[in-house]
Amino acid sequence: MANATAMRAHEWQLALPLALFFALFFAAPLLLLIWISFQADRQMTGGLGLAQYVAFLGDRLNLQVLIDTLLLGVKATCLCLVAGYPLAWLCTRVSARFQALLIFLIVLPIVTSVVVRTFAWIVILGRRGMVNEAIVALGLSSQPLHLLFSETGVIIVLTQVQMPLMVLPLITALQRIDPNLANASSALGAGAWRTFFKITLPLSMPGVIAGIILTYTACVSAFVTQSLIGGSRLLYMPMLIFQQAMDLQNWPFAAAASMLFTVSVLLIVGLLVALSRSRAAQLYG
Amino acid sequence: MRTSIDWEALSLKAVFGLISLITIFILVAPTVVILILSFTGEEALRFPPASYSLRWYAALLDANELQDAFVISIKVAAITTLVSVVLAVAAALAIARSRSAFARALETLFMSPLILPALAFGFASLMMFSLMGLRPSIMTLSIGHIIVCAPFVLRTTLASLAQLDPALTDCSTSLGASDAYTFRKITLPLISRGVISGGFIAFMASFDNVPVSLFLQDTRTQVLPIYLWDIIQNQLDSRAASACGVIVIMTIILMMMMERVAGFSRFIK
Amino acid sequence: MSHSLTRRGLLAGTAAAAGMALVPQRGLAADELVAATFGGTWANVQKQVLAPYFTKRAGATVVQSPMLATEQIAKLTAAKGGQVPFDVAMLDEGPALEAIDAGLIAPYDPAKSPNFANLYPKFKGEFGPAITMQAIGIAYNPKTVKTPPASWADLWKPEYKGRVGITSLASTLGLAFLLDINRLEGGNESSMDKAFAKLRTLLPNLAAVSANFGAHGALFQQGEIDIGVQNFNFAEELKAKGVPIEFVRVSTGTPAWKTTMHVVKGALKPDLAHTYIDSQLAPEVQSAMQKSPWNVIPTSSKVPYEGLVASKIAKEPADLDKMVFFDWKKVNQGRAAWTQQFNREIRL
Repeated sequence: MANATAMRAHEWQLALPLALFFALFFAAPLLLLIWISFQADRQMTGGLGLAQYVAFLGDRLNLQVLIDTLLLGVKATCLCLVAGYPLAWLCTRVSARFQALLIFLIVLPIVTSVVVRTFAWIVILGRRGMVNEAIVALGLSSQPLHLLFSETGVIIVLTQVQMPLMVLPLITALQRIDPNLANASSALGAGAWRTFFKITLPLSMPGVIAGIILTYTACVSAFVTQSLIGGSRLLYMPMLIFQQAMDLQNWPFAAAASMLFTVSVLLIVGLLVALSRSRAAQLYG
Repeated sequence: MRTSIDWEALSLKAVFGLISLITIFILVAPTVVILILSFTGEEALRFPPASYSLRWYAALLDANELQDAFVISIKVAAITTLVSVVLAVAAALAIARSRSAFARALETLFMSPLILPALAFGFASLMMFSLMGLRPSIMTLSIGHIIVCAPFVLRTTLASLAQLDPALTDCSTSLGASDAYTFRKITLPLISRGVISGGFIAFMASFDNVPVSLFLQDTRTQVLPIYLWDIIQNQLDSRAASACGVIVIMTIILMMMMERVAGFSRFIK
Repeated sequence: MSHSLTRRGLLAGTAAAAGMALVPQRGLAADELVAATFGGTWANVQKQVLAPYFTKRAGATVVQSPMLATEQIAKLTAAKGGQVPFDVAMLDEGPALEAIDAGLIAPYDPAKSPNFANLYPKFKGEFGPAITMQAIGIAYNPKTVKTPPASWADLWKPEYKGRVGITSLASTLGLAFLLDINRLEGGNESSMDKAFAKLRTLLPNLAAVSANFGAHGALFQQGEIDIGVQNFNFAEELKAKGVPIEFVRVSTGTPAWKTTMHVVKGALKPDLAHTYIDSQLAPEVQSAMQKSPWNVIPTSSKVPYEGLVASKIAKEPADLDKMVFFDWKKVNQGRAAWTQQFNREIRL
């Protein structure tokens, strides 16, 4: 036992460099961010106060931007879940060689630059782009659809750009499910869909939660995608913070906006996790 | 006893199969589109291209600022990866074998850059560096990147340490080997694949990073993704397409190398 | 296990070699200047005409960073007290006044700039010369827009629903357009209420609002918009590249303004900066820039008007005086508030 404790003390020294690095370059800036957000005026000479928060929350436009951003994340994450779950399911059902190929294709987007991926969509979604040419040719609409510079376009692109973050945890979770459970379920007479909804889905919840957390955070913070596809007429929180911080040099206000943004995101993620956990708890009693 | 077709199972497979195919297509299509587009012979970016040529790749040879941005991105990514690997592997060794609450807390701290909006962190870093009197530079960029990239290395290293049988290291220590020797000869080779995979992800994450770089760079140290974004926003130059083509090709090659050397697809889940 | 170490060594070696091969071989760094420029056609013409001339003359290279005038001011203000991010600023009239008032610009030394004396008097300035004038009008796609437009009012036609493009107030292009609408509605530079009221009626026709004129050009190129406000030289460059686009001046008078180049206060290489700006004033450079596809309006008295500049804009210097000008000092006072309001109005 004494040996084990001594080993542990020695190991803490190993964690020290990273801990110090994080304390200095991660925790300190965040604390500074909180402190600056409570500054009463722009020049940061006045005292502390809630002036910046009041200024942000009191303006209907800012609130609208915050809500739009949070909702954007919800819509894109839902789409990612609905589109990504079957793909993760497919990955667990195919042969090992196919699986390696599928995973390669899924991982490739996340290691490719987000600018590159979003750029392709500008060409695909444009008025004269692939999607519109197909739609008009197939007669689905007489006019090209307004996809670029619209929220619909942003959601579509976000879904593709962040999809891997949803699919990969799902694959892990699905692979951990004992296949005997599904077999037992069908042996007992449950149909395929019922087995899926009652057995597979609840058991894969940890993966779903992990996927939702990663995807939602990425979608709401997706600065590049929101700006390139959304255009100047759609304003979301990342661009608002950037404009306030860099173009207008209003650091306290930008800091307050950042804090409100971060806290809202954490709250929503916490809410989603709590909801899914309670659902899983219901099923297991 | 039932010899009739299980329609339910079939419908499940059909629905899931169809959605999966659409999803895979949507996942892959943009990358393919941009690759094809980079070989366009036209000024405007129309898909499919009316003619093909290498002119936009040739134009890259001329693009000094683009090349500079590329070099800076590589430099920052290299520094970031190196420091991240050293710091994160050390921390992983400490955390992996402990069950204490302190270890869990440390792990949460080290992973938290992944769930906080990176934009807020980038902005906070800029303010801190600015108040400290430091101008944006390759050093500040690297520091910011290390924070957001180290978690990737930590995650994969922890995953491979979890698969490591503690009996092996216990054996080595009880046979009289020092901790450092045990690490070098036993632990490190066994976790090398996880470390390399994490290092690769950290490298690409740094190379592609936008939210942190946006705040911590300046005109004299622009990184490639932001330079590209500027080009796309400001003029939609077709050179952006070929620059993207280069990045895609580079990424595919690196990924294939990683797969062969480290089987890294096992670690990114 | 030594197996995997060897593979790792091999991997590291290959990566290093590849990395070395990718890094462009730069010799000893020659003297280098960092200059700001506008995006789009400005970046192109300066890179292709000005940069080579400057390098030949001064033996130094230049890094040209495209940014809007407003962005340049933001960056210079942020850098106050420290190292400036660039040595040469390129600004439109409004931002130039702002920058000079804020003390961001150094006085221009004519002794270091031989070509300065050749400018028409109205283009000389204590803080930097005017390198060109910019004129705006309507650009449209002749393939999809059958009747050529004649005035701003044409943008409001219902048949252009979802096909019109304008720029945000961050660029002078957007600001000048709104100012002219304001003027035509009976307002002046103290208040833009009339302009905003008119803008609201344009919203259904808008396909896109570009952040800057470079992005605006791209919208024409990609066919996202069929008709919109545009700079003269921008439109002509696109046309020369083969994009279906035509430029017309509006019948109510062409809004125009000066664009100036300045040496930034605290520049790292002030002498080189002067040489760079002086190169932009050289008759050879201005004459080359006036030719197609650039069509930049010259300011040197040694460069007569030719080509499209002569046929579409001005045959002689006095013609330039007949254009529509704004009181930029007054404009600067209201710009921040107008930008905020504009962003609110155009929100989807």
